[in-house]
Amino acid sequence: MDFVRNFPCISIMLCLFAGIISSGLRGKAAMLVNAALLVTNTVLSACTLAYTLAAGESFVYVMGQFPAPWGNEIRAGVLESLMALFFCIIMLLSLFGGRHKLIEGVEEGKLYLYYVLMDLLLSSLLALVYTNDMFTAYVFVEINTISACGLIMIRQNGRTIEAAVRYMIMSLLGSGMLLLGLCMLYDLTGHLLMSNIKESVAQIVAEGQYTIPLIISIVLMSVGLCIKSALFPFHAWLPDAYGYSTVSSAAVLSSLVSKGYIFLLIKIIYRVIGFEIYRDSRIIDILFVFGLMGMIFGSLSAIRENDIRRMIAFSSVAQIGYIYMGFGMGTEAGMTASVFHILSHAATKSLLFIAAVGLTDVSGRNRQFIELTGAGYRNKWAGAAFTVGSLAMVGVPMFSGFISKLLFSQAAVQNNTKMLPALIVLGISTILNAIYFMKTVIRIYTPVEDTPYPSMTFRNMPLYAVVLVAFIILNVTLGVSSQPVVDMIRQGLAMFA
Amino acid sequence: MILLVILIPFIAAALSVWLPFRNRKSWEIFLESAVTLNSILVWYLLLHHSGNTFLLAHFTGNLSVSFRVDGPGMVFSGLVSALWPLATLYAFEYMTKEEHEKIFFLFYTMTYGVTLGIALAANLLTMYFFYELLTLVTVPLVMHTLTREAILASRKYLYYSLGGAAFAFIGLIMIIVYGRSTDFVLGGVLDLAKIGDRTNVLRFIYVLAFMGFGVKAAVCPFNSWLPQAGVAPTPVTALLHAVAVVKSGAFAIIRLTYYSFGTDFLRGTWAQTFVMLVTMFTIVYGCSRAVKETHLKRRLAYSTISNLSYILFGATLMTPLGMTAALLHLVFHAVMKIASFFCAGAIIHQTDRYYVHELDGMGYKMPCVFGVFTVSALALMGVPGLAGFISKWNLASAALESGSTVACFGIVCLLISALLTAIYMLTVVVRAFFPGRDFDYGTLSGVKDPNWMMLVPLFIFAFFIVLFGLYSQPLADFLYAVAIGL
Amino acid sequence: MYLILLSIFIPILMGLYLLVRKEYASRGRLLATTCAGLVLTGALAVASFTAAYGSSFTLFYLTKSLPIAFAVDEMSVLFSCLTVIVLLCAGLFSFEYMKHETKEKRYYGFYLIVFGVLNALCFAGNLVTFYLFFEMLTLTSMPLVLHNGSHEAIMASLKYLFFSMCGAYMALFGVFVVSHNSAVLTFSTGGILHAAAGSPSAGLLLAAAFAMLVGFGVKAGMFPLHAWLPTAHPVAPAPASAVLSAVIVKAGILAVVRTVYYIFGADFLRGTWVQTAWLILTLITVFMGSMLAYREPVLKKRLAYSTVSQLSYILFGLAVMGAEAVTGSLLHVLAHGLIKTALFLCAGAIIFTTGRTRVDELRGIGKEMPFTMWCYTIVSLGLIGIPPTGGFVSKWHLAIGSLQSAIPVFRWLGPVILLVSALLTAGYLLPLTIQGFLPGADYDYEHLKKREPSPLMTIPIAVLTILSVLIGLFPAQLTDWLTRLAARIL
Repeated sequence: MDFVRNFPCISIMLCLFAGIISSGLRGKAAMLVNAALLVTNTVLSACTLAYTLAAGESFVYVMGQFPAPWGNEIRAGVLESLMALFFCIIMLLSLFGGRHKLIEGVEEGKLYLYYVLMDLLLSSLLALVYTNDMFTAYVFVEINTISACGLIMIRQNGRTIEAAVRYMIMSLLGSGMLLLGLCMLYDLTGHLLMSNIKESVAQIVAEGQYTIPLIISIVLMSVGLCIKSALFPFHAWLPDAYGYSTVSSAAVLSSLVSKGYIFLLIKIIYRVIGFEIYRDSRIIDILFVFGLMGMIFGSLSAIRENDIRRMIAFSSVAQIGYIYMGFGMGTEAGMTASVFHILSHAATKSLLFIAAVGLTDVSGRNRQFIELTGAGYRNKWAGAAFTVGSLAMVGVPMFSGFISKLLFSQAAVQNNTKMLPALIVLGISTILNAIYFMKTVIRIYTPVEDTPYPSMTFRNMPLYAVVLVAFIILNVTLGVSSQPVVDMIRQGLAMFA
Repeated sequence: MILLVILIPFIAAALSVWLPFRNRKSWEIFLESAVTLNSILVWYLLLHHSGNTFLLAHFTGNLSVSFRVDGPGMVFSGLVSALWPLATLYAFEYMTKEEHEKIFFLFYTMTYGVTLGIALAANLLTMYFFYELLTLVTVPLVMHTLTREAILASRKYLYYSLGGAAFAFIGLIMIIVYGRSTDFVLGGVLDLAKIGDRTNVLRFIYVLAFMGFGVKAAVCPFNSWLPQAGVAPTPVTALLHAVAVVKSGAFAIIRLTYYSFGTDFLRGTWAQTFVMLVTMFTIVYGCSRAVKETHLKRRLAYSTISNLSYILFGATLMTPLGMTAALLHLVFHAVMKIASFFCAGAIIHQTDRYYVHELDGMGYKMPCVFGVFTVSALALMGVPGLAGFISKWNLASAALESGSTVACFGIVCLLISALLTAIYMLTVVVRAFFPGRDFDYGTLSGVKDPNWMMLVPLFIFAFFIVLFGLYSQPLADFLYAVAIGL
Repeated sequence: MYLILLSIFIPILMGLYLLVRKEYASRGRLLATTCAGLVLTGALAVASFTAAYGSSFTLFYLTKSLPIAFAVDEMSVLFSCLTVIVLLCAGLFSFEYMKHETKEKRYYGFYLIVFGVLNALCFAGNLVTFYLFFEMLTLTSMPLVLHNGSHEAIMASLKYLFFSMCGAYMALFGVFVVSHNSAVLTFSTGGILHAAAGSPSAGLLLAAAFAMLVGFGVKAGMFPLHAWLPTAHPVAPAPASAVLSAVIVKAGILAVVRTVYYIFGADFLRGTWVQTAWLILTLITVFMGSMLAYREPVLKKRLAYSTVSQLSYILFGLAVMGAEAVTGSLLHVLAHGLIKTALFLCAGAIIFTTGRTRVDELRGIGKEMPFTMWCYTIVSLGLIGIPPTGGFVSKWHLAIGSLQSAIPVFRWLGPVILLVSALLTAGYLLPLTIQGFLPGADYDYEHLKKREPSPLMTIPIAVLTILSVLIGLFPAQLTDWLTRLAARIL
């Protein structure tokens, strides 16, 4: 079974190849290639996951058999392959769910470009997940940024271009900081491979040298990635980018791209700096505070929002706040909760975006709440899916959000000083979530007399409905039988160390 | 078996919508018989319970979804299952005026199952599940009329309930982390060794969780959803907002206090004093608002707020007697309040009158309804010989027995509230029976008592109010047995 | 035993029957039924306190610690006698008086129920039973107040209701505390709380006692919760006012007696702050009631204020807690009951025949209705306390009792205020007599016509007047009996 060790590398390569091939294809064909790619990658990731689970340990794949420090390494453990699997599944579903909007919204001639970008994005995500080399990580961060910009801009109108430019600027700022941090770290240690850096860092810390440069480098990398993953208060670019781009892009961006960066940060924490050293630096408290603030202010902005897409986008800010709060706990349990929330939020947020588009479609493309009145009756599938997504976001038992909440609070309890603020903010944020999501749910189930808009049934949109059902199943599965997933995460985190 | 009684309502509800019924009659018969059958099953279960825990599924780790029949569960499920068939019968008649009956009964019947789930849950997690679920299945009921008012009310209801659950959730977490298990064990499950010096934090969390569950039990300041939710059809206001939903809140607090945190941990601490003061304030506050309110159903809703805090006051005494009194009032108040709500509903159904000042002279036109209303009013006031007096008596003696000074002031609050109850209930009765010399009965022509489907539940409730008032010793003994660990 | 139950439940059931049945075809049949009910009840009550004297029994248990029990003792006999006499007389009077009111059936229904409830109060054997019927009394007598259905009457009845409820709940607080400190709540002479004296809960018990005094005192029109009485009594039909003013308020007195002497025991309260506070309240009430009555122009209201004042005479005597004073109080219960009924019935007769309600409209009324006014004058003298009427004897005992007692200040302040109040009583009752019989030179004798009311009205008045005078003329036996009673309960 050892050939499975090749799978991570193969899947990244496949993405790149698919991108290259697609650039010469027409839109429809590129779409098929992309779908095939996603399915293949799903299978490959699943195999890797099964392999690592069975092996009970991670493995390092040395590209081209060049040993370090010259070669490039890929490392796959349970956590990495789990992430890769999830990313593939969610991207697959998001693309299928938003396909009709794509065909409508993107110029016929440019459709293939969209899929090219998507292929590249996937490659960068997988690379971020798997890589064991900081410089490779940086390269793919940039690829990721560029393709994400393209995804935002593909539906061309003034707003998306503005949003893309904003995104670009903020993102580049973020990656610039990451690069600076990386350089400093390289200066300090002389290594680019994660495992090597970690050893050196441990040594430096043990000797008590270079304390300040090390801290600065950690801060630079963390802040860079925070900007890119839209942690409050660096979220200004987010609502426009998610709010106006085509729906698949929004779903993918919110649930995968920002998560890719977060995952990279996790890797840095565990595999580059070392968990203890990172925890002892003060940055963790800052992350905690920003996380808490994000939970509150993201939700407050969402409550004020009158546009369903932007509302969901602001909700992302709050959810990312949850994840960083988990980091900020500085415990194993907190990290587990954060990783689980990455998954559950990814599954839920893309569901919400996809469902929202179904609702706006039956309301004359209006995204204002007033027009959405009764949309839940006009498009029953989207209505049900949106309700499920909302309940998951609020954290109602049986849905994925509840497990996240459960894990977060359990983690919070273990930390004496941070327990009360974390718990209370969790409570308040739940209330705020309830306010804006439930408001919307009630709105879409408020019937109106003689609406001008037509209804949608299963026949009009079989693929869309199937995608929604798949999302719902994914969500409920995460909510009901979360134990295996949580175990995998724990196992994966243990392998990191 | 336990699972069955929880599931039957769901199945029946689903069938009632999907099955093609020939006419309304057969549909009614189907639903009523399903509900009655389920109630019979529940009672059978209660009488033959084994005390074993029925494990449905493992959730994560050591958290499981499981059910068990124990003392408070018996009380609550017995109460709910006794009331539900009657309320359903009443609802059939009432809902002839409203639209979307089937959807209404779909959720109405589902609520039955969910409430039983709360009653029979064997651990805090399971109860929390059903607690959240209860919010969700009852929202459509509040929204039912789909007027702007109803939408606003349901939104408020949802926010309050989910928000409250969020804080109750924190309590749940504490029990998971610091408890030996989440199972309900009389005396609490907290593991003192794990807590160490964090007792005050834990007490603070208890207060938070109390207020969280208290949202459903409408403690001040989280009570404003309840009067607003009165826009729902009367069967909902009566059964859910006087019994099932709000009592779930009170029931959850009893569970939390006696079975999770444990009274030993809380008794005599600032946490107890705080929650007791909150309930005392709510008792008086609810009544004062009821006096000011002129909309009959909202007035009753405020009365419910006050009476729920009677229950909570009993619960916060944290003694076996206190719990007995709380459970006793839980049962009695259910009967009394549902009777008065059904009267209000009958009035609305027959005459479309909503405000107290519109009820002049109706006592002569609807003698049965107002007779029952008078009985329930007197019972709520605590006139001896009716149910309310017994529970009030028990509450007061439990409060005195607990020996705390705050509890003595609690008695004063109870009595002030009783006086206010007299004011807001008897003004209605006086208006109805003594409209004054110049009253023109011509304006009431055509007003008459409703038909038997409405009257039968009313009379049964009135009968039980009197019965409990005169003869409640076995019940009280049973509840005491529950409180000391049945 | 069955007699007691019958005397309670027969009138209640008959009353309920009257309330729910259809309107009678003729007024005669209604009156016949009512009359039968009243006489039967009266007979049963008398029979029960003669035949079942000294017996007690428990009907059933509300809960283990709350028995519903009845017992007949001297106090029952005293109050029951008063009840029967007043209700029969006033009932007879109403047969005529109620002609000019509507909804007679309802009136008689509640009248009978009130009769039954009053019997139950007299025969109640423990605090819970007493409390039960005390609340019932409030609820069932309320319809008598609002009978005429005017806005004023309804408001007055609500005021009555809420004040009474307020009092009842204050008392209930006391009941809670007492029941917590004592295993049983049975009335027994000398109290049931010996064990609790001096214990840590004594402070709470004193507070409870005060709450009960003030609470039950509401019914007896004691300051500060007396305001309902002058509002509620006058708006009722005159016979109902009579019943209210003479008997129903006595239920408050009975409650206080039971509380102080049968639950707490005089020894428990003597010399405590509760006694002092209580004395102050009663004296304030005595003086204030007389003062207000003096200033009041409407006859029935004036009588109501007079009730406030006179009831506090009784309460004062009870508060002194000496044998002599208590004797005076109990005697005054009887005397005031008879006299006040007679006064209200006189007022009713005047209103019924002339339709005039204010005192200054009644010049020369003595010439028009000499018999009624003679009775009025005689009983007025009784209330003022001029020998040889009943009032004199009771006030004499009150004053002596007060002077004999060892309470500082109040032992002489009390009699002084009682005297002042007696002067005021003369001042508010006698002007009617003076104006009535001596209308002055400019009175128009031309249009004078005799319009004495029918015998149905005059007979009850006469009976009551005679009884009140008899008490005054031959007080010895009664006083002896009451003195023995007082000595026993102290």
